[in-house]
Amino acid sequence: MPSVSNSDHKSGDLAVSVQHLGLIYRTTIERRPTLKARVRTLGRGTKHTRVVNALDDIMLDVPYGSVLGVVGANGAGKSTLMRVISGILPPTQGRVEVYGKVSTLLALGVGFNPSLSGRENVQLGGLAAGMSRKDIENHFEEIADFAELGDAIDAPMRTYSSGMFARLGFSVAVTVRPDILIVDEALSTGDAKFKEKSLNKIKELRSEKRALILVSHGLGTIREMCNEVAWLHKGKLIERGEPNATVDAYEKFLKVGKSAAIDEDI
Amino acid sequence: MSKPVPVEVYEPFKAGLPPLSRYWRALWARRAFISEYARSELHEKHFDSVFGQVWLIINPLLLSGVYFLLIVIIGGHSDKMRYGHLTACLFLFYFVANSMTAGSKSVVKGQKLILNTAFPRIMLPISAALISFISFLPTILVFFIIRTIMGFPIGWAMLWAIPVVLITMILALGLSILISCANVYFRDIGSFLPYLSRTWLYLSPILYEVSALKPQLRAYERFNPLFPILDSWSRTIVHAKPPQLTSLLQGLAWALGILFIGTYFFLSRERDFAVRV
Repeated sequence: MPSVSNSDHKSGDLAVSVQHLGLIYRTTIERRPTLKARVRTLGRGTKHTRVVNALDDIMLDVPYGSVLGVVGANGAGKSTLMRVISGILPPTQGRVEVYGKVSTLLALGVGFNPSLSGRENVQLGGLAAGMSRKDIENHFEEIADFAELGDAIDAPMRTYSSGMFARLGFSVAVTVRPDILIVDEALSTGDAKFKEKSLNKIKELRSEKRALILVSHGLGTIREMCNEVAWLHKGKLIERGEPNATVDAYEKFLKVGKSAAIDEDI
Repeated sequence: MSKPVPVEVYEPFKAGLPPLSRYWRALWARRAFISEYARSELHEKHFDSVFGQVWLIINPLLLSGVYFLLIVIIGGHSDKMRYGHLTACLFLFYFVANSMTAGSKSVVKGQKLILNTAFPRIMLPISAALISFISFLPTILVFFIIRTIMGFPIGWAMLWAIPVVLITMILALGLSILISCANVYFRDIGSFLPYLSRTWLYLSPILYEVSALKPQLRAYERFNPLFPILDSWSRTIVHAKPPQLTSLLQGLAWALGILFIGTYFFLSRERDFAVRV
């Protein structure tokens, strides 16, 4: 569970330390786990389950004052890694140390109940993440302004367009100011104008006292914003280092690797 | 320079319970979520309907109206007390049954929140139980209007209804937690539940009074957690008599037992929910 930090952080201090992190899940082949499926597979061991190696021996340190970009193809384990750092998924191997308050309000969590209004969803998400009513009230105007939703903030979220959804999610993620801020994929949706606005917001948020982790498919953004980039592929940390070099390597892999990757899938 | 102490450490968890004092603190810090969630859900439930929140009163009125039609008008029973017993017990039963239904959906419904926020998952079934309790409150009001019109006896012994409601709350909460957890692993429970609660309704002294039951059948009453609770409820709130102490204690033992077992299962499984829902 996230708790409030009470110390100031200096640039270079460790913010997140990921040590030999591994995460394995077993999924049943059946889409929904039912009693019938259970009865059918009783006594047959784990025949009907599939083991997914979501993260495999990941080593990663994020110091304060830095911006880490995380890139990788779909299913690389980027979101899973963010969820472990936020304390949502318990690891099956290794250890994650977090030296500060993490924003567990990943943008994706906003709008968990589409029949409630945007306002209610933001409030409930904030309360679930451990914020006080007062905190949320203080931030709410800013969130609503930044998302540019107008009156729609009080309409049920099922009536939102995907852009509105993404804008609200991003606004929540950047307005609540934690020590360690995780922005997961929130930049890729939204129109050009909002994209620029959100980029500026992130630039503004880069500070000595904060560590930022940016998960994005926008490689231009990653090159521009980050001090360091980690490239994940199928749960493994392939490369980690200087942004331009790592993104170049990743881009090269995306071009040549297409056929190779397809081979691997079969 | 000394090495700073991490605020949080995440490591593989062993089977069993998470550290309880930490869990409790995290839960307590988020108590506002529970009431806020219940409020929003109740508001949303009737958002599009003409009568809105008034449905909280209309529902029990219609329910008692249907049984009034069945017992007094069609059945021709002139026994007012029987009708009173039936409505009072039905309202209490629906509190428990609604808590089970809402509980069964709570965790699966909160999937998006579970996947993206770290919080004590038990908040979800607790909110579900609270929603059922809030919906139960207007039914008490409706019952008091009915009993005033029908001229039922009034007395101080009716205050015994308060501990009976408290025991029922513990039971409803325990069932909500237990079933919400079970439903993550066996989604079939959602389909079984309507039949389960219908059967439970007929097995409980609602459509009949405890005294009307054959002695052979009464031996089985101790296996029904609702039996002592409904018996006490009917005695106090309908007949204005004090309940039997053994019934109260029996009901309390059941309620606490189910809450304990449900919470144990939930807490020992909940770290697994994020990969299960």
